[in-house]
Amino acid sequence: MIQITDEILNKYLDGELSVEEVKQVKSALLNSDELQRKYSALKLVHNGLSSIKEDVVSSGFTEKLMKQLVTRSTVPKQQKYFIASVVTFISILCLVIFGFSISAIISTTSSSIDEPKSVFDSVPNLSGRLVEALQQLFSGAGLSIIGSIFSIIVLISGYFFFEMQKRTKADLGNGQHL
Amino acid sequence: MRNLSDQEIIDSVRKGNSSDYSILVNRYKNKAFSMLNRMLKNEFDAEEILQDCFLKAYKSLNNFKGEAKFSTWFYRIVYNSALTKLSSQKRKTETEMTSVEDYINLESEYNSNEIEKLDVNHLIHKTISKLPERYSAIITMFYLNEMTIDEISEAMGLTVSNVKVMLHRSRNALRDLVLKTKLTEEIL
Repeated sequence: MIQITDEILNKYLDGELSVEEVKQVKSALLNSDELQRKYSALKLVHNGLSSIKEDVVSSGFTEKLMKQLVTRSTVPKQQKYFIASVVTFISILCLVIFGFSISAIISTTSSSIDEPKSVFDSVPNLSGRLVEALQQLFSGAGLSIIGSIFSIIVLISGYFFFEMQKRTKADLGNGQHL
Repeated sequence: MRNLSDQEIIDSVRKGNSSDYSILVNRYKNKAFSMLNRMLKNEFDAEEILQDCFLKAYKSLNNFKGEAKFSTWFYRIVYNSALTKLSSQKRKTETEMTSVEDYINLESEYNSNEIEKLDVNHLIHKTISKLPERYSAIITMFYLNEMTIDEISEAMGLTVSNVKVMLHRSRNALRDLVLKTKLTEEIL
């Protein structure tokens, strides 16, 4: 004979008992007013809980949310475009510097080519002129202009990078891993 | 028109029809709100967290593999977000407040005269939000969202037996309260 505890009554209510156990609970309920009272109250609670109504969110919730979704998805796109434009700008700047150096070397070497030399002979000459051209570019006013442009780019990129990191961390903290 | 399944809607959103996500939002917003409202006991906070949950779910939709139901996956986000909110409010979270073994005493929430006057159903509905957070979450998921014990255990990250114990304890606590009402004596 099983002992009719609160747990057993709950299981009886949920239909989780075996046929034999159900028989025993039924007979116990018939023989005990106190048990019957407890079970009836439990059933009353069960029926009451089954009829709970859902709370309703404020009107316009979905529209507001969908607007937010659109806004949030456009912000990272803007950031991506910004980073792409910064990278492109830096690449173009490097190409310009490289092109300028090459053209400077070619112009100086073509003026000094009087007698034919082998390719290997002209290599040290070329590298020396490349260094000279770069020195010219990165000295005085040229250096300060290039430095300023790079500083601004680095600062702005740093700010956006920091923002992206913050956003990613917040997302991870809020259970994005689920 | 045929009701689209959750998976069909998710597939459509993944294909780029982001406006279809509103179907999922409309399908789950009130049920999830009911759960949050009962856990956080504050409508404003509940709505704010619900909005965050839908945004998180949208952003993580590509990670949803479909091994569990979307509802279970989504309620897990909702439940965890509610717990995070509770802990960020410096309130004692459910894990600190009550363990599965603790007895829930709801009678202290009312004076005896008040209990006697209340209608049973009204008393039950009013008392759900007075239950500790995890218990009210279980009651809402089981009765309102019609989730199975297995789904609830998955959503809450608890074992099936713990969920059962907590469900039974919630019912028993409400039953003890109901037994105090005058109306019950007339019914029983």
